[in-house]
Amino acid sequence: MNKNRFFLIVEREYKAIVAKKSFILVTLLAPILMIGLMLVPALLMDMNSSDARLVSIVDMSGKYGKDFKDTDDYKFQVLENTPIDKIKQQYEKADGDIYAILVIPANVETTHQVNIYSDNPVKMSLNNEVEDVLEKSLSDAKISSYDIPGLADIIEKSQISVSVKSHTWDEEGESVSSSTLSMIIGMALAMLTYVFVLMYGAMIMSSVVEDKTNRIVEVIVSSCRPLELMLGKIVSIALVGLTQIAVWSIFVGIGLFALSAIGFTSSPADTAQLQGEMAQLPISEGEEIVQAILGVDWGKLLFIFVLYFIGGYLLYASLFAGFGSAVDQQSDANQFMTPVMMIIILALLIGEGCMQDPDGTLGVICSFIPFTSPIVMMIRLPYDVPAWEIATSVLLLYGTAFLFTFFASRIYRTGILMYGRKVTFKELLKWAR
Amino acid sequence: MDIITVNDVVKDYSGHRALDHVNLNIEEGCVYGLLGPNGAGKTSLIRILNQITRPDSGEVLLNGKPMTQEDVMHIGYLPEERGLYKKMKVLDHIVFLGRIKGMSKNDAIKSANEWLDRMNLCEWSNKKIEALSKGMAQKVQFISTVVHNPKLLIFDEPFSGFDPVNTEQLKQEILRLNQNGATILFSTHNMASVEEVCHNFSLINHSQVVLQGNVNDIRRQFAKHLYRIHIAEPVLAPDDSLFAIESVSPHRLGGSNATIRLNPGVEIKNAINALNNNYTLMGFEEILPSMHEIFIETVTSSNE
Repeated sequence: MNKNRFFLIVEREYKAIVAKKSFILVTLLAPILMIGLMLVPALLMDMNSSDARLVSIVDMSGKYGKDFKDTDDYKFQVLENTPIDKIKQQYEKADGDIYAILVIPANVETTHQVNIYSDNPVKMSLNNEVEDVLEKSLSDAKISSYDIPGLADIIEKSQISVSVKSHTWDEEGESVSSSTLSMIIGMALAMLTYVFVLMYGAMIMSSVVEDKTNRIVEVIVSSCRPLELMLGKIVSIALVGLTQIAVWSIFVGIGLFALSAIGFTSSPADTAQLQGEMAQLPISEGEEIVQAILGVDWGKLLFIFVLYFIGGYLLYASLFAGFGSAVDQQSDANQFMTPVMMIIILALLIGEGCMQDPDGTLGVICSFIPFTSPIVMMIRLPYDVPAWEIATSVLLLYGTAFLFTFFASRIYRTGILMYGRKVTFKELLKWAR
Repeated sequence: MDIITVNDVVKDYSGHRALDHVNLNIEEGCVYGLLGPNGAGKTSLIRILNQITRPDSGEVLLNGKPMTQEDVMHIGYLPEERGLYKKMKVLDHIVFLGRIKGMSKNDAIKSANEWLDRMNLCEWSNKKIEALSKGMAQKVQFISTVVHNPKLLIFDEPFSGFDPVNTEQLKQEILRLNQNGATILFSTHNMASVEEVCHNFSLINHSQVVLQGNVNDIRRQFAKHLYRIHIAEPVLAPDDSLFAIESVSPHRLGGSNATIRLNPGVEIKNAINALNNNYTLMGFEEILPSMHEIFIETVTSSNE
């Protein structure tokens, strides 16, 4: 390896991709698209809430209609004992002003059933609202009908919700952890590895194929070793990936800042509501989350993550580079792309299974296999995997990654100068030898 | 001194022998032609010389020492299939290829600009390659090959795809580089250019060298003892003891033109004397076979 030459190649490859219009577009538009996806539903909800729909209630029971209070979305109007066919006439006359008609039958206390009439199927939110209000009213009525003093209080107090607080022992004593938090951390790290490997692995492949289609590759390999060119591509595309992630992080940061500045303060009611909900949480629970986040050994976690991330990327990147060298055109690449993608997706599925049972046999085995370990181990990692398992798995991963880089460079060397042939897996094995 | 020595090189591709015990020497400072039909193994040999592939057996020496990867810094290579990074700017591209061959950035820029000037491409230096016409791209490719002032230049079919004007310009540039001390190796199908510029050549057919040597020596070796004569008389009588007549035709200035074949062992001097005694001999010239004829004859006979 000639260092100057290698860095020259990395520099050129990096610039070539970063200067592409498609790259710039994706890098800038993806966050805007994401923000859009998050904002549009919120905006839509906002628009709905601006005009509350009118719901007429025909209360034959004469009791429960008054329990319906107007909400942001619905206005309720109680009509005393009007016959149903007359209501229908009214509904038609109103020509859309009445959204729906709720009929509470006289025997609702025994049937527990009400009916809603309208032109179109009504929204789930109305169903839910009606159910919530009537369930509360009916059960309150039921309780008071027993005529036992203080029964409502007793029932209120017997509503018990249990929270599980997990503690793990380590060298420094006891620490509190939350299994939900572990799950989220593990999944996030696994997804990051998965997306990075797939996205940028594919980019490596197309870069290799492009050089070949351009016919520039023969000029370049007459000046440097094919291995230098291949590793140059792998490293430069990793840098491209990190660049893209950095840009996105900045966008997300700005977005969050903007949201917290505009979104939350604009509606004091929302904030009050949120605060109210927070206040309802037992104080200890909020503390626990903070404690759990602090309880995670982030240094160790991130260190191991970076190890697996680099190893996994190297392994898959060399596979993609090797396969890319064997085809003439982007469209021929699929036959090699598909099996690789299947392995990665399989790893993610196994990893998801692992969340239920981090020490299950399949999970443990797959956290040793280099093709799945970068993803599966990420999910197991927050559940305190024994050190020897991590060490063995990392060694296996790096051993395999270097071996594959070597084989891939041999395939690459032959493949990049081979034109006009459909190469099979069997031939690739022969080139690798 | 030989700049390149190829010793007994064998190269096999899956089930097919591309080079079969090939030997050749390229003298420093000469222009060397590598000839042969398509698929004969020329490109395989050129790739080995460029250290792109390795021979299965045999060795390649550069200035008498086994060639290493770092020696490619002294070689400029123009592959048959031309290719450039389409999205790169002309100057950046040439500088990149110069630097990858070990030049400093400043040297590469200086040399690139000199060459762009020489090839009348200055105003294009900040345009992207994809904006260039095919002929201009070919010139950029040529500059990329020579930008680092290599001692050995290897051109695979350098003239393919060039129009006659550019072909002539390219030929002159190659000869100029040669005069400035560079050794040139090129493969070509253009036999006229071999006669014109090559000192030595190798003819490869079916992976083997079938003919090799100095262009003039080989042409003489292949000479059929044919001579073109011009006499003032309208009729030329055969002379069985000296020569046979291949063809006779009237000369446009009067008299006749004839092609004669000297009998084996007859000295030219004797034939001239005999003709001069009987006719008014106005011209006598040896007909050397063209490289084209030698190529076809050798390839055909080695195919049999």
